[in-house]
Amino acid sequence: MNDRVIAKLVDVSKYYGSGEGRVTALSSINLTLLRGDCVVLVGLSGSGKSTLLHLLGCIDKQDEGQIIIDGIDTSLKSLEQLAFLRLEKIGFVFQSFNLIPVLTAYENIELPLLFKGYKKNSIKERVDDVLEEFGLHERKHHYPRQMSGGQQQRVAIARALVTQPSLILADEPTANLDSQTGAGILDLLIDLNMKKNITIVLSSHDSVVLDKIKTVVHIRDGRIVHTNISTC
Amino acid sequence: MNSLKLAGIAVRNLLRNSRRTLITVLVSSAGFAALAIVAGYMDFTFFGLQEMTICRGFTSSGGTGHIQIFRKEALQKEEHYPLEYGIADSEKLQQAVKLNKSVIATMPRIEFNGLISNGEKSISFLGTGVDPKKETELIHYWNALEKLSSRKLMDDSVYKKLETTSSNGVLLGEGMAKAMNAHVGSSLMLMGTTVDGAVNAVDVTVAGVVRSSMKSIDRYYLVTSLETAQSLMQTGKVSKIVVVLDKTSNTDIVRPLVFAKINASGNNPEFSVIAWDQLAEYYHSIRDAYRIIFSFIGIIVVVIVFLSTTNTMLMATMERVREIGTMKAIGISNLWISFLFLYEGFFIGLMSICGGMALKIIFSSIINNSGFKMPPPPGMSSSYLLKIFFAADFLPWISLLILFSTTCSGLLTLFKIRKLSIVNSLTHV
Repeated sequence: MNDRVIAKLVDVSKYYGSGEGRVTALSSINLTLLRGDCVVLVGLSGSGKSTLLHLLGCIDKQDEGQIIIDGIDTSLKSLEQLAFLRLEKIGFVFQSFNLIPVLTAYENIELPLLFKGYKKNSIKERVDDVLEEFGLHERKHHYPRQMSGGQQQRVAIARALVTQPSLILADEPTANLDSQTGAGILDLLIDLNMKKNITIVLSSHDSVVLDKIKTVVHIRDGRIVHTNISTC
Repeated sequence: MNSLKLAGIAVRNLLRNSRRTLITVLVSSAGFAALAIVAGYMDFTFFGLQEMTICRGFTSSGGTGHIQIFRKEALQKEEHYPLEYGIADSEKLQQAVKLNKSVIATMPRIEFNGLISNGEKSISFLGTGVDPKKETELIHYWNALEKLSSRKLMDDSVYKKLETTSSNGVLLGEGMAKAMNAHVGSSLMLMGTTVDGAVNAVDVTVAGVVRSSMKSIDRYYLVTSLETAQSLMQTGKVSKIVVVLDKTSNTDIVRPLVFAKINASGNNPEFSVIAWDQLAEYYHSIRDAYRIIFSFIGIIVVVIVFLSTTNTMLMATMERVREIGTMKAIGISNLWISFLFLYEGFFIGLMSICGGMALKIIFSSIINNSGFKMPPPPGMSSSYLLKIFFAADFLPWISLLILFSTTCSGLLTLFKIRKLSIVNSLTHV
């Protein structure tokens, strides 16, 4: 397999329900993502964008087909192995930030590192670097409830980035933010993609996103109806 | 993963819903306190029973003392005639035993039986011949027990009366005195078998009427002096020597020393030295009954604590579905997330132990100062003041039980967490 390929979906299908009530969420998806790609998944609600992100992030399992992340066939892995794969290679950014409310910004960011078995000093160094990079140093001891939406989303991105993943998946990261803050977050993700060569896949309805990211995968009724491969 | 860090997160999660945590801790604390108070009561009862067995006994033979010395054959064979295996030179034996510093008294006793008659009516008796002066040592030992401050002090005047009654004094149980229509000063006759198998009789005078510890033996209870018993049985032997120590806890240390002292070295010891607890069937049956009761109470309390904590844990899991989903999504394994809940259960347990100890101390103090009198236990004749001991031996076990119960309640969340779909958790509201 080409070293540049970070994720490959081959004839992937996903269904919900069974019998006559079975709904096809994704149907025979074929998609290859390269290192450094910055891709936006677009489509109407219920088109299958989130399902595709979940399958790429190994937090859900396909019913048919094969998903390969960084050379690893995920269909052959156990739940614990998939958890380890996510910890090692994938970062998540959620629409509602999903920070742990009892942890400060610093502690939220360090959380994945603690489970990766990093030494205390190394964790501190990394977290401080990321806080500095994202302009969150002043907020490091603040709890999520003490921060604005934009700040919370920056912390969430910092948490996704701190493990140095190969792939960051962001599910409508700007949907809960005002347009100005949303644009800032988007710029931050694009900047990460450009400077660190991290593959970023995000889903969005936001026209601003479509203006800034040129690699677009259009999904309709669980099928990819149009893609244009280019560098963003 | 730094376990301390995980523990810290667990504590913060508990504080997040402090009211619910407080209620759970209160339920578990009440469970701990209930068990600790029952254990304290049991400890008090066991100690009281132990000392009662030693000082007064629950048979017609009186208090067991801490140690009893018999001729070896007396415990192994049936006697063909009274005192066939009695101790002949009891004075010498007592002198040898008294060399041990923990021994505060040695008391020779004769156990005998026969008929007592008032001239019109004869009934059987179970008698004990004692040295009245030495027997008072057991009373002094009882009266000096500091730990049993609530006990009824024993009166040694009856033994003095036995000593001062000029002609063959006897002490009768209340039931026997009533049956014989006897009172202090009444003349009665004892009939029994001598060591040669002949029938003998002696005239006795009632020196006192006593209440034995058990109602059931009151009708057969008779105590007389060693001389009277020996004169009835026409012997100089005694059945056994009762040894009183400075404290009960020394029994296991002193017993082998006494055994070695009175038996010449060799494979065929002449005397058996028996500790009080081997002679106390009543004590053991009460103790076993209490242990069964305590075990049942323990199981009920642990189940209540477990259910209460499990409810809290499951509520916490349901409230934190999205958080759990997020943690799973970023790659934290089910096992680590479950550890978080186990820690929470563990801390609830720790807080419950502290709270329970406080409750136990408060309630024990109230009970101990209330002067509450317990009715006489089944078969016994006197009531007693309720006391709750500290029960230091039981507390570590109760703590472990509560801790185990609260921590295990976190285990149930493990199944819940494992079943939670990440995708559904992330959209959970």
